[in-house]
Amino acid sequence: MIRLENVTKVYKGDVTALREVTAEIQRGEFVFLVGQSGSGKSTFLRLLNREEVPDSGKIWVSGKDLSKLRSWSVPHFRRSMGCVFQDYKLLHKKTVFENVAFALEVIGQSRPVIRKNVPAILDLVGLTQKAERFPNQLSGGEQQRVSIARAFANRPEIMLADEPTGNLDPSTSVGIMKLLDLINRRGTTVIMATHDRSIVDSMQRRVIELDRGVVVRDESRGIYD
Amino acid sequence: MYRLWYYFRETFSSIWRNLSLTMAAIFTVAISLALVGASLLVREGAERATAQFQEGVEFIVFMNADAAEDQDLAIREVLDNSPVIASYNYIDQEDAYEEFRNLFADKPDLINSVSPSVMPPSYRIVPSDPSAANVSELADQFASQPGVKEVATATEAIRQIDDFSTRVSQALLVAAVVLVAVSALLILNTVFTAIGARRQEIEVMKLVGATNWFIRIPFMLEGTIHGLLGAALAIPALFIVDKQVLAFFQESDAVPLFRGFAVPEGFVWDTSIWLLLIGGTVGMLGSAVAVTRYLDV
Ligand SMILES: Nc1ncnc2c1ncn2[C@@H]1O[C@H](COP(=O)(O)OP(=O)(O)OP(=O)(O)O)[C@@H](O)[C@H]1O
Ligand SMILES: [Mg+2]
Repeated sequence: MIRLENVTKVYKGDVTALREVTAEIQRGEFVFLVGQSGSGKSTFLRLLNREEVPDSGKIWVSGKDLSKLRSWSVPHFRRSMGCVFQDYKLLHKKTVFENVAFALEVIGQSRPVIRKNVPAILDLVGLTQKAERFPNQLSGGEQQRVSIARAFANRPEIMLADEPTGNLDPSTSVGIMKLLDLINRRGTTVIMATHDRSIVDSMQRRVIELDRGVVVRDESRGIYD
Repeated sequence: MYRLWYYFRETFSSIWRNLSLTMAAIFTVAISLALVGASLLVREGAERATAQFQEGVEFIVFMNADAAEDQDLAIREVLDNSPVIASYNYIDQEDAYEEFRNLFADKPDLINSVSPSVMPPSYRIVPSDPSAANVSELADQFASQPGVKEVATATEAIRQIDDFSTRVSQALLVAAVVLVAVSALLILNTVFTAIGARRQEIEVMKLVGATNWFIRIPFMLEGTIHGLLGAALAIPALFIVDKQVLAFFQESDAVPLFRGFAVPEGFVWDTSIWLLLIGGTVGMLGSAVAVTRYLDV
């Protein structure tokens, strides 16, 4: 489903963020990306949703060769992908419901579809009671749930999560991980960059470790170290 | 349908959020387009005012409205017998009134204020030698005849009107072009500010896969609406120019030729449509530049 072949990414200023990275991720997998700060985890994820393009090497996502993807078709490509970040990226003037609805509205979904799907997704992330609240009336964990709901609104095949628990305390993080696990069990491939040792150790999923842009470890039921 | 509603809502909420800049942009467009329109009206007015001097007519002898019959006959006698006059055409009071009515067909007030008896009858004269020196000599001869109100020579009168109108319309046009450029920049800046105010939304839109045009269209609409609203404000100004300024010349008795300084209402409406087109285009171009420069989608 996802394949990287000898991928190298050099940022301007001569920072080699990824060097000759090769990896393959199957449909339905749950993959942790670990490694020290600056090892290239975020770059790995940004290459997958085509926010960045590699300097050499090839990337396939859902059978598409990303180097052959025209820039006008990038938006449609991104619709099959949900993205979650450490800082949630919620819109503060919109309610929980509107934040999730916005993601469907701007890809041209009709009002009836939105009215039907948004409550179902809010139910999935456990925020039905708080649909009319604004982000600043929610806890960090709840805000991250909204952002996951928004990422999942279009039922993506792939979910990219960049340190989704980075700002949360351990017990809240567990709740977020349960949610991502649930989404993964519904068939969505999840790739998550994290620094959280206890989460990686307890989930017992595939771990890819990067060190200064190089894959140094790839275990199917790994732990953090 | 949902999409149209979305564009509409986003565009107007953005305009509302950015009201002071939006107003500045709209008023600048209005002022510059009013000047463009005024310049077009003056030019058209001048063309119509000089229309009497066609088919070789080089000068016109205006008689007093109450000139005695023998004064009139004396002039005609000179015209009929002079070897230097190729031909002439007599416009009696009825004809003059008729022309006046045609010229001001859409201004019944003005027509009602005159009657054939106050119109000056005139001779439109084609000399055999149309050189400027000859024409002015002939004009002087007629001007000193009893019963003659005034002699307008083509060279002098047309030059007067042409000078006046080209100077006015060029000055207006230069000011207008500068202001149109300024308003395009203001629209660009307003749309740029609107983009800045919605950075986060735009980031999320890109993230979830909104297409480039979906992101751009509300901003382009916003700029186009600035242009169109500005033009809409310029149109009443155009009618004021037509009614007040041009009417001032029409009613001035000083130079009879200026009485022809009028444009029909239809022309004012045509000009209005042009203003809307120019305004919309300037707005669309200004916002298109803002969108392509600052919205790297
Ligand atoms: N846009 C950019 N321009 C230049 N250099 C960049 C850019 N983004 C990342 N880098 C550099 O690339 C390297 C890898 O960065 P990346 O963000 O992928 O690391 P990371 O593993 O996500 O780090 P962290 O755990 O701190 O989030 C770092 O040295 C970083 O400074
Ligand atoms: Mg990172």
